[in-house]
Amino acid sequence: MAVYCNISEDAQQKYEHFTKEKPNPEMSIEYKVGHKDFVNSGKASSEIKLMLKRLGVNPEILRKVAVASYEAEINVTAHSLGGDIICDIYLDCVHIKFIDNGPGIKNLEKALEPGWSTADDLVREMGFGAGLGLPNIKKNADVMHIESAENQSTILQIIVFY
Amino acid sequence: MEQTYFHAIDLINDKCKGCMHCVRTCPTEALRIRNGRVHLDDKRCVDCGKCIAVCPFGAIVASSDPLSIRNDYKFKVAIITAPYAGQFTEDIEYSTTIKSLYHLGFDRVIEESMATNIMTKMKRHYIANNKDKKPILSSNCPAVIRLIQVRFPSLLPNIFHVEAPMSVLSMYYREKYSAIEGLDPSEIGVFVAVPCIAQVAAVHQPQGAYKRNLDGAIAIRDVYNAVRNDLADIRNLDYDFITHENGLSRALSGQEADEVGNDQIRTIAVSGIENVIDILQKVEDHILDQYDYIVLRSCTSGCVGGILNVENPFIARSRIQTLIRASKHHDHELDPMFSSYLNGEFDVLPLEPRSIMQLDTDMKQAIIKMKKLNEIKEQLPSIDCGACGAPNCQALAEDIVQGKACIDDCVILLKKNKNKKSD
Repeated sequence: MAVYCNISEDAQQKYEHFTKEKPNPEMSIEYKVGHKDFVNSGKASSEIKLMLKRLGVNPEILRKVAVASYEAEINVTAHSLGGDIICDIYLDCVHIKFIDNGPGIKNLEKALEPGWSTADDLVREMGFGAGLGLPNIKKNADVMHIESAENQSTILQIIVFY
Repeated sequence: MEQTYFHAIDLINDKCKGCMHCVRTCPTEALRIRNGRVHLDDKRCVDCGKCIAVCPFGAIVASSDPLSIRNDYKFKVAIITAPYAGQFTEDIEYSTTIKSLYHLGFDRVIEESMATNIMTKMKRHYIANNKDKKPILSSNCPAVIRLIQVRFPSLLPNIFHVEAPMSVLSMYYREKYSAIEGLDPSEIGVFVAVPCIAQVAAVHQPQGAYKRNLDGAIAIRDVYNAVRNDLADIRNLDYDFITHENGLSRALSGQEADEVGNDQIRTIAVSGIENVIDILQKVEDHILDQYDYIVLRSCTSGCVGGILNVENPFIARSRIQTLIRASKHHDHELDPMFSSYLNGEFDVLPLEPRSIMQLDTDMKQAIIKMKKLNEIKEQLPSIDCGACGAPNCQALAEDIVQGKACIDDCVILLKKNKNKKSD
């Protein structure tokens, strides 16, 4: 099992506080992502964005969440057998988990390199698969955590503080 | 104090039958029927004018300044927006429709199309120098600007932050004629003939600095009427002016994008407010970052689709295209003003967000309201019948949470509960 975790410099303290306190989420919403369902892919992240907008989250933060969650949702659609998204909303952050049904990332280190892609032809035809997904998520999320292994599910978690 | 917003919409209460046409049409859910009459939420309305178009009873009407407003000024300048040219049948020459305005008592008639050339140059320069804000969003349509303020505040920095052509024209000509005529600038009246109520609202309550410096907004249809009645009298009159048909592209949504676009500038042209909302959502999600410039117009086909026009937008569009094809390019006295743009004289201040999306200014309260909203939604029938006076069940749930409605407003639920009781 390979694990990768990135915490942005600004978020170190907030994240420490968050893991120490372990607060209960104020709200929790689940979404399903279908295997290669490009028609509906992006809807969950769109709904998450809308909900945070309604809660009054600052536009700049909203942008970060929108980009990171959209990329992650597309990843689940394009590269996995489908899966679930769980969005936990806290008073000071949003924590989104993307849990897919496999087949897992063979080489996690490579997958994090900008431009590296295993996308098949169908995915590329749809205009995705440029190999910028994970690097883009890393750039926009305050905390990014991935665990994966071949032939297992991949769990990607992101946290963005308001 | 809460800010009030000017809207160029009049509600005629006696005529309203509470039919819901407007409520269902409004793209920002600003309308409700309460006690059988229509109500407008001042904060949500963006003056797109769709409600006026669908009201079968004439209960929602457009307001604009009367043509007689010109009489209050010593020197009268009319700025004619581009869709005006598409209103007249082709047996009436474009130059005749301009001549008539002089005959109607305007001392100077300015075509908005005069500024198209210099605006295109400014846009290209602006886009090239603001690559970090990709894509740049056009600022011509005041309904779109307000829509961005209320629903997409995160995109405010992407707006083309330069004065609208009509403000540039009014500043330039007010100064010029106050010098030539020896009049105080306040004695010069600058009016604009507009195709839509969003422009009326923008003239009466400029946002940031867009569309400032104008003394009135007259509906194109009112100008059209006066001109049609005047035509017989002007056949033999001579006025000396040249026309600028080649700049009329401003009235057409696709044409402006085509003019600004080139190898370096990738553009999209979007018209119709539902399409605009969809595109703005995609811009917000960063799906359209590969584009440089997006032209957004609230009305179908662009400004020719405005509610204060006379002609069908597609016919007007065809006429304007014919005029553009037959036109010659004239350099214009405004063209040298590009240096004023470079000096920052046309910069406008960033616009303030006016979000209607937030459930509460306090996040804790907002979360509580969101939970309550979801609970109420579970109870509501989700058939969006509209009998409660809100456009859909989601909107009613939100009204209930905000204390503007109660659960008993839902007729279906009320009936269900009654049946339960009688069982």
